[in-house]
Amino acid sequence: MLEPVFDLRGVAKAFGENVVYRGMDLTVRRGETVTVIGGSGTGKSVCLKLMIGLMSADAGEVRFKGQDVGEMDATALSELRRSVGMVFQGGALFDSMTVERNVVYGLREHTDMTEIKMRDRAVECLDLVGLGLDFDPDILEKMPASLSGGMKKRVALARSIALKPDVILYDEPTTGLDPPNCDRIAKMIRKLQAELGITSVVVTHDIETAWHISDRIAMLLDRRFPYVDGVKEFRALDVPEVRDFTRRRIG
Amino acid sequence: MAQIERLGSLLTGLIVWIGGVGRMLGQAVFRGPRPPFGGDDIGYQLLQTGVRSLPTATLMSGFIGMIFSWQFGEALAAFGAVSTLGNVAAFALVRELVPSIIAVTVGAKMATGMTAELGSMKVTEQIDAISSLGADPIKKLVWPRVVASTIALPLLVVWGNVMALIGGMFIGHVVFGLSYGFFYNSYIDELVMWHYVGCMVKSIVFGTLAGIIGCYQGFNTQFGTEAVGVATTETVVATTIAVVVADFALTTIFVQV
Repeated sequence: MLEPVFDLRGVAKAFGENVVYRGMDLTVRRGETVTVIGGSGTGKSVCLKLMIGLMSADAGEVRFKGQDVGEMDATALSELRRSVGMVFQGGALFDSMTVERNVVYGLREHTDMTEIKMRDRAVECLDLVGLGLDFDPDILEKMPASLSGGMKKRVALARSIALKPDVILYDEPTTGLDPPNCDRIAKMIRKLQAELGITSVVVTHDIETAWHISDRIAMLLDRRFPYVDGVKEFRALDVPEVRDFTRRRIG
Repeated sequence: MAQIERLGSLLTGLIVWIGGVGRMLGQAVFRGPRPPFGGDDIGYQLLQTGVRSLPTATLMSGFIGMIFSWQFGEALAAFGAVSTLGNVAAFALVRELVPSIIAVTVGAKMATGMTAELGSMKVTEQIDAISSLGADPIKKLVWPRVVASTIALPLLVVWGNVMALIGGMFIGHVVFGLSYGFFYNSYIDELVMWHYVGCMVKSIVFGTLAGIIGCYQGFNTQFGTEAVGVATTETVVATTIAVVVADFALTTIFVQV
């Protein structure tokens, strides 16, 4: 069995009186794609933010390659974030920056690359997500406001892979997109896993996408992940809550 | 009982807020002045907060100079002491009115601009995105804004003092028949070094307060459609109160000097 990249043990997290997690366990192993599903407002995105240290757990441990994220100092956190990319729900592109400056943001922060090399890397990353110069020769100079929702998510994906991370966390990557764009994003997640061996954690409502991209599916129920299984096994689960959720979503 | 509870929670909220602002200022001062210093970002913010506030500062100060010289002049005329108008106006304008009124208007404008911008970034997860890319949002967003407002406000106050002097000279001449040269000389003669120092110290403190309150409010904007509007409104109130309280504290020091 491959070693765990993320290992969450007995995690508790609450916002005031709203308890999101209580005794939550989840393991993500190297090279796999784990999809987190669950109802709206149940805290799926919080799981990603705990993993990357944007939020800290009230109790329990969040371990990244054996290191407790909650105990990390600024340098260790910066290193973690260099090797873990995150694609936010709305893309979270920086409004005041061009597509190129968005994509190379992490490179500028962590490397001594020249402007030319960074530009080349930006083109390479945009090419990987289907937004290369063949698609649009002016893409590098465009501002986020002039991009469609699907393009924003793909630029966000390009930004997250620019630093060549080992892991990518996707927060609702297909929400709000039309079916062709959903397909495109799903294929990209698979492609990045297949070609670059990237470990992925995907939070989504989109069950169809989940079936296609996942190695394992984790369902958030009652503030924990009681059901974490391979796609085939998960689909065969004879649990009313799981069946209810997946069927309604498919419907 | 309910009122005591409400007062208690209000005080607790105030203490938490002051602590949060102080903590963020400490983080900015600790993490900001390290290479790379973010000169481009500071320059951009200076342009945004400082240069673009020049018309407002000019108008405000010019009119404050005219209004208060007129009011003082009327009062002094009753005692036959119009010739001391320059001395009185200098005292009030340089030591108190120009820095505090520019802080309350231009400073609050700077702070709300920062809150709106950072609040929108917070709501659209751009601040989280900066962190997730391994950068420090305090250094990237708070430090340049606080430095810019701390530099911009004193410069605007210097400019405002000139405009207030011109406004006062104009009223002194047109309404009270004082020559421009006489008003100018009596105005400048009244001021000693400590008045300028006090004025600048106040401006620097007000600029820092406006910057840090604007950033803190932006970073703490809640999620939801109305959140940015609520945060900016609170920023106006918070900046104004903070400026007035700081003004009182600094006045108690400089009056004795």
